Formats: sequence, structure tokens, C-alpha cells
Amino acid sequence: MDDLSSIKQSFLHELSLVQGIAGLDDIRVKYLGKKGVLTGKLKTLGALPPDERRSAGIVLNEMKVLMENELALRKQALKNRELEKKLASEALDITIPGNYTPPGRLHPLTQTMLDIIDIFSAMGFSVEEGPEVETDYYNFEALNIPREHPARDMQDTFYVSDDVVLRTHTSPVQIRAMQKRKPPFRIIAPGKVYRCDADISHTPMFHQIEGLMVGEDISFSHLKAVLEAFLHRFFSPDVPVRFRPSYFPFTEPSAEVDIGCIFCKGAGCRTCKTSGWIEILGAGMVNPRVFEMSGYDPQVYSGFAFGMGIERIAMLKYSIDDIRLFYENDIRFLRQF
Amino acid sequence: MRVSLDWLSEFITLDKPAEEIADILTMAGLEVEAIELADDDLILEVNVTPNRGDCLSLLGIARELAVLTGKPLKMLPCEVKGETEPGKKIEIRDETLCRRYTGRIIKNIKPGPSPRWLQKRLESYGMRPINNIVDVTNYVLVELGHPLHAFDLNTLKGDSIIIDTADKIYQKIKTLDGIERKLPEDALVIADTEGPVAVAGVMGGALTEVEESTTSIFLESAWFKPQSIRKTSKALGLGSESSYRFERGTDLEILPVALDRATCLLQELAGGVPSKKLDAYPVKFTPARIETSPGRVNRLLGTAIEKKNMISILDRLGFSPEEKASSIMVTPPSYRNDIEREADIVEEIARIYGYNGIPTALPSSSLSAEGIGPMRKFMRQVKNVIRGAGFDEAINFSFMSPDALDFLELAPGDIRRNAVRILNPLRKEESLLRTTIIMSLLEDLKYNLSRDIRSIRLFEVSKVFIRDEGEDLPREPLKLGGIFMAQKTYRFWQKNGEDFYIVKGVVEALLDEFRITGRSFEKCQEPFLHPGKSAKIVIGGKDAGFVGVLSPVLKEKLDIKAREDVLVFELDLYMVIENLPAVPVYGPIPKFPYMERDVAIVVEEYLRAADILKLIREYPSEYIEDAVVFDLYKGGKLGPGKKSLAFNIRYRSGGKTLTEEEIDSIHKGVIASLLEKTGGSIRQ
Ligand SMILES: [Zn+2]
Repeated sequence: MDDLSSIKQSFLHELSLVQGIAGLDDIRVKYLGKKGVLTGKLKTLGALPPDERRSAGIVLNEMKVLMENELALRKQALKNRELEKKLASEALDITIPGNYTPPGRLHPLTQTMLDIIDIFSAMGFSVEEGPEVETDYYNFEALNIPREHPARDMQDTFYVSDDVVLRTHTSPVQIRAMQKRKPPFRIIAPGKVYRCDADISHTPMFHQIEGLMVGEDISFSHLKAVLEAFLHRFFSPDVPVRFRPSYFPFTEPSAEVDIGCIFCKGAGCRTCKTSGWIEILGAGMVNPRVFEMSGYDPQVYSGFAFGMGIERIAMLKYSIDDIRLFYENDIRFLRQF
Repeated sequence: MRVSLDWLSEFITLDKPAEEIADILTMAGLEVEAIELADDDLILEVNVTPNRGDCLSLLGIARELAVLTGKPLKMLPCEVKGETEPGKKIEIRDETLCRRYTGRIIKNIKPGPSPRWLQKRLESYGMRPINNIVDVTNYVLVELGHPLHAFDLNTLKGDSIIIDTADKIYQKIKTLDGIERKLPEDALVIADTEGPVAVAGVMGGALTEVEESTTSIFLESAWFKPQSIRKTSKALGLGSESSYRFERGTDLEILPVALDRATCLLQELAGGVPSKKLDAYPVKFTPARIETSPGRVNRLLGTAIEKKNMISILDRLGFSPEEKASSIMVTPPSYRNDIEREADIVEEIARIYGYNGIPTALPSSSLSAEGIGPMRKFMRQVKNVIRGAGFDEAINFSFMSPDALDFLELAPGDIRRNAVRILNPLRKEESLLRTTIIMSLLEDLKYNLSRDIRSIRLFEVSKVFIRDEGEDLPREPLKLGGIFMAQKTYRFWQKNGEDFYIVKGVVEALLDEFRITGRSFEKCQEPFLHPGKSAKIVIGGKDAGFVGVLSPVLKEKLDIKAREDVLVFELDLYMVIENLPAVPVYGPIPKFPYMERDVAIVVEEYLRAADILKLIREYPSEYIEDAVVFDLYKGGKLGPGKKSLAFNIRYRSGGKTLTEEEIDSIHKGVIASLLEKTGGSIRQ
């Protein structure tokens, strides 16, 4: 059976030379077709003596299986190569930008507000809203700022009539919330406020977030803890926080809350006016007079309130040095955040 | 208030560096905003809050420092000699507005410039020296916080000093600044028998002014009701160091002390023979008696301060604490008119104890599941959809110029003309509250165009304000506004088609986001929009806003040179909320396949795609599931006034698989009906 091994040799050689799937069929016909080389050999089996026929049959069949396997392998290889070629010819310049609409940006004040709201919301505060055009009663009287009170000088007010103002702070929402809700509750009220003031560091409209928590045993300790937790979450867990006495007609005791200057780490710089501290919010225990005016018994209920300016916090967060940038709506500014 | 440390040291020994003194004051509620170096002196800029009128003086600051450092207060030397009969009497006609009035006559006085040391001190405070008499009254004002006034005695007619309201009698006065002023009826005035000589606590009269020729004076030290002084000062537009202090409340008991102190200084600097003191004091100071429960103090502060510690603090404050079984009885001094009830005592204890000594404790309270609430959630979602369409968020002031209403050519009856007017605007251009966001966005567009920014997509979500006749407060609808202008940009993927459809698409995407189905876009009448390239947004049958191309007239008025269209939209978000669908109810997913057929028909140009789609949907066949328009073609062989619209119709049965033959037959019917109703023809 010497010629069998030479048949195998020439089969494998021819197979390796084939470049297309069509060529494989020629080889299949040549070796395994009806008049193929191996088929011819198989036909000669009948002429052999029975004892030889069996062993020769096994050998020839093994050869047939081998050839079929080799043909299949070669076919797969050729198919792969053709696919690769096709894919290579279809390749794109992947550095050309994708076809999409670049998303717009939320205003930095909105982003700051969302961050603050989310922190307080996680602490169980609900969001409350109130009108921007307010009555003198809600904006001043009910907050213990009667007419002819010097505290009215703390805020330059836009008047619509004798009794109607553009709210000068978000604090009137405290009163509206107390009328609407039953203690215990904790709310925040974000929104626009207005003051008759425009210079390098003031705009006639700006944003505040007010907070109010009322219950039966709310203390100054709670106020400190909640605001410290907020400031640590918003700025950084190790920013120093200090509380110092101040005055707001609607809280008593009142506090001004400072954080250690995030720029100079307390060493003193321009932003903190060399003091090492930055004033960040006002707060205090709800003045019993405010409770009384809203029909709450100050012997039963206590609470704390706080308020902060969003512009100031956004300026610190993003190192913005001019408040007016927020309202110019220059797209080159808006797209930075 | 500017505090000279040199001057302050006359009241208390200062043995600490200025920074430390500043820190002590700041942490006790008297914020020191700056320390200023002046020659050989240091000036503290102290921010005195409106409740602490008692600290608007060196004495007041020293008193606080004494409480905080334990150093004793120093008393000022003062001994008034040679008292003669005054020869005047005081007549208080309104005892509510003037509870006490003291004064004295000083004769043979010599006006002249003050010595340099005194001038320097007044300058350290920020006051301009005038003459020794006026300077002394100012000097005592800074020292003791009590305003004094000196009249030229020879100009005071009659033997009475009258304190009364202006009413009908004292209507006019020429004040020190030479201006003839009409007085409000309830203003308190000082008068002689002939007429008013001073607006009490606010400003002296010109006729009784102390001058170089003055030889005798009447020196006034009085108490006036804070609210009255403030009202008069506001009404006249006159504010002074004196009125500032009277407004914040002055010490009833310090009147004679201030009078004597000024007399001593005057004798030293200008000579003169003082008379006896006149002291009319009809409504005496009655100290408040406040009971304070230490338990309540600790409960409110979250502290465990001992009762004796509280008593010690109150004692240092001069509050004369008396220990009771379970409380402390407190009597605040006459200069602390801000202390009225227990809450004030709590604050004082906390303030002196130090806020930073109060422990922190997170409150425990019932859980709230409210979160940010549906309104805030909705607004976030709105902003994110619009942002996703490439629009940056703008925030504009809520103001609007009255000219904007005419600029937008709003009709006389347009509701947007019912704007809220501000009585005291900063500028005329900001004297209305805006009734639409569009004007602000147009200004933003101008701003950016002038800075060579060529692709502008801005949106804003804000309340606008509509005045309602007969209502105190305006309505505050929530609006979403947007502006779009896309000039040639070097982006790889170019847009094509009308910008109108891009911007309309943004509005549709938003309405889709909230699954607002009952909506349509109808012909729009907005005077500021291109009549053929604009649409009214109708939701639930109501007008909810508009979208469209800015009219060429307005574009020219805005001086926008670029060829590209400016597009704007505005949508009432409350109307979107009103039309939010209920929670969806699941419906089964179709079991049988659909089949599609396309048809393009040539129709008159004015026919609207929406109307033809409606014809398709209304065709009487239960198998028509949906239809969309997918192509619009004009020109070419179609000829003028014609257009071709292509529709894709999807057929499906809920109960079986439709055969090709069945579909063809229905589709044929649809086409025949369309051609008949539109007068169109099949596009070849
Ligand atoms: Zn700093």
C-alpha cells in the first residue's frame, strides 16, 4: 500500500495550495468523487482475498475520514480568511466623532441646589414651596419683624404695594409650612429671593435654601449636629465648623455658622478676609414669638431654622469670583459645569 | 461701629492683643469684621446687630468685654460744679413717645475748635469735627451711646421746652442742613413757645443751631420711642448717628449721666456756667422680671449647664439673678431693652457659655417618606430631557422692561400685559416682573451672539407672574422656555431640514417623556413669531404654549444679522402636570404579526399631514393599527402648489394572521378613500 501514502502526500499538498472555497470542490472530486483516486482504490477491494480485504478496507476508510476532516478544516480556514478580508475592507475611521447631540448643562446654581437638597432629603427633610411675591405679613410680620423694626434695614425690599413685597428671603415658607403641617416635621424650601441691591457682590435676585425642623424636644444641639453633618457632606468631612452668636428676629438664640476657609485652610487669604473662616449660613432656634403667631405653643414645641445663600456656596464650590457671572448666561460659562 | 482701642481702654484695661479681643467679641456675637491700623491706634470694625443698641458705644463694648474677660469696668470722672437755676421748664405732651427728657442751660460758653486729641478720636470713629460744643455731644454719643443735642439758648423763645407730635401746629421746620421740611403728623418735635426747633432724635433746626456767636446753650438728653423716630427718619429720608441709636432703643437711666458727662467736658473745653439739671421723667423705667427654668434652658440648648453656672453668667451680665427653688428670677438692666422673655435669657446664657461648648446630637424623629416631592422630581425630569436635547440651562432675573410688552407686539388684551409692577425698581428696565421667559432668552441670545458664539441652545424653567384683578398676590405659573439658533458650525455630522422641526421635536420629546397623549400643534397667532413657521401647543384642549421661528420683524429689531432663524418655545409646566396620565394599566402584547404598506400621494400644498393621517386612522377598518408620515417632497415634476407626502401604514388583526390578499384589499380601499377626500393622486 505504498502508493496510499503518496496519495495522502499529494492530497495534503494540493489542499495547502487551494486559495478559494471553489478549489476545495475540485480536490474533493479528484480524490473522493465517483471517479476519484480513493474511490478507485475502494473499488479494487473486491478483487482482494477476503483476509486482506478486511484490513485494506479499514486502512482505506481511515484515509477517507482523514481526507474529509482535512477538507472541512481547510474550508473553515478559508471562510475565516474571507470574512477577515471583508471586515478589513469595511473598517471605519473610529476617531471621527459619534453622531450625537452633546448634552446641555444644568446651571451651576441648579447643580448646587440639587446637591444641597439631596443631602437634606437624605436626612429626612421634605421640600416645601412658597410664592415669590409675598405679603408683608409672611415676609416680615409673622417672622417677628414688625413695621418700624430696625431689622427691616437688614434687607432692602422691593415693594409691589404697601402690603405686598418680593420676598426678601425664603423664611416666609417657614410660616406657610407651620400653617400647613403638624409637628414633628422637617422641611427645606429652596427658591428665588429679591433684594433692592446691585453691586459687585450683590444681585437683585438670588437663591436661598431655608430649613425648618419642629418637634417636641428639638434643641440647639440638634441644630448643630444637622448643620455640621450637612457641611461635612457638602464640603469635606474634615472641614472645621464653628457657631457664633448672631441676630435674626425670627430665631432665638441665633447663630452665624462659619466653615474653615477651604482655600487657605485657615491661614488667611482674600476670600476669607484673612480671618481663616467663611460665613456660610445663618441659623437659630425658632423664636417663641414666631411660634405663637402661627398658633404653636412654645411651651410644647421647639424647633430650629436655618438659611443659606446658594450663590455664595456655588462660588466656593466652583471657585467663581464674580456673582454676576451666574446671570449673564454666557454659554462659555454655562458649559463649564 | 468703629472702636478705637486707645479710646476703649479708658473704659476697661486691655491686656490682650487686638486679634484676641476681636476673637472674644466675635464669638460672643459682636462680629469684628476688620482690624484697622491708624497711626498709633488700632480700630476694630464691629458689626453690631440691630437688637444690641446698647453696644453702639464704647461703654457698651467695654461692658461686654468685662462680662467675657472678668476685667472690671472703669468709671469716668465727672463732677458738675456751680449749679444755677435753669429758668426753663420742660413740657412733655406725649408721654408715650417721650418718656424722659433731661436738659440744662450752660451760659458764658465759648465756641471754638476742639483740641486735637478730641478731634482725633472723633475721626477714629469716622466723624468730622465741627466745633467744641457739637464735638462734645458727638464724643459722648460714641462713649456712652446716648445722643445729645445742643440748642443756641438765645434763639429759644419763651420759658418752655415742649415735646409734642407735629399734628396741625408744628407742620414745617427748616433743619440744620438748611432744607425746609414738611413734617409727618405723627413726627415728634421739640418746640419752644413759637414753633418747632428740632425734629426729635433726628435733626436739629437751623434757627437754633449752635454757631460761633453762641454764648449760651440748652443741652438736651432725652429718650424717644424707637418706632416713632424710625418712622419719622424714614419719612423724611433723614438718618443720623442719633436717629440710628434712638431707633434701636436707648437707656432711660443713662440720660442724666450723659448730660453730666457732656457738661464736664464742655466746662473743660469751652468754659461756661451750668445750671441745675432739668429732669422730666413721667414714665419711669420698670425693669422686666423674667423667670427662667434651668431645666428648660438645658432642654432648649441640649446642654447640662449647672444652675450655679447659669447664675454666675447672669450675674456677670448685670441681670441680678435671684435663685428660686426650681428657677432663676432675672431682672435685666435698663440698657438691655432687648431682654424681654425666657428665650432671651436662654440666648444670653448660650452666648456667654459659648456656642462651641454646646454638644452636637443628631435628632431622632419619625421617618418621612416624602423625599423631594413630586414637584421637584418633575422639574428635575423636565430639565434632564431638555438638557439631553443639547440645551444649556440659563437663569435670568425675574424682571422685565415695560418696553418688552410692546417689543413683543402683544395685543392690548393679552394676559401677559397684566404684569406686576415694582414700586421701587433699581432701573426702569427691571420695573416689571416678567410674564414670559422669551424676552430674557432673547437677551441671552444677543449677549452670546455679540461674543461670537454661533450655536445657541438655552432653556430656562421659572415662575412668571400674572397680576389678577382683585387678588393681593399674582398667579405664579411655572414656565419652560427655550431658544435655539444654529449657525454654521464645523461639526462632522450636519443637521438637515428645517430648524422648526428640531425645536418642535424637543417639545414633543418632553411631552412623550411624560406620556402626554392628548396634544396637538395648531396654527399659532403669536405676534412675535413667523406665522407660517410656528405652532400653538395644545394639551388637553387648552393652549399650553408655543414653538416657532421668531418673526423677521423682531429679528431685525433685535439687530440680528445672521441668516439663520431664531427659534423659541414656551410651555406651561403646570398644564403638563394637570395632564399627566394615570399609572399605566398593562395591556396584552399582540400575538399576531403586522404587515406594512407604504403610499405616497401628491396633494395641494396647504393640506396638513396631521389631517391626512387622521383620515387614514379613521378609515373604517379594525386592522389599521398605526400610520406615520415619513417623507415630504416638493418641487421637481410635481409643479407649483403641490407636495408629495409618504405614509407608512401598519395593519394587524388581534385574532389572526392577515394574508397578503386581505391587506392588499384594505390598503387599496384606504388609498381610494384618501384620493377621494384629498383630491390628490398617487405619486408615480
Ligand atoms: Zn482663606
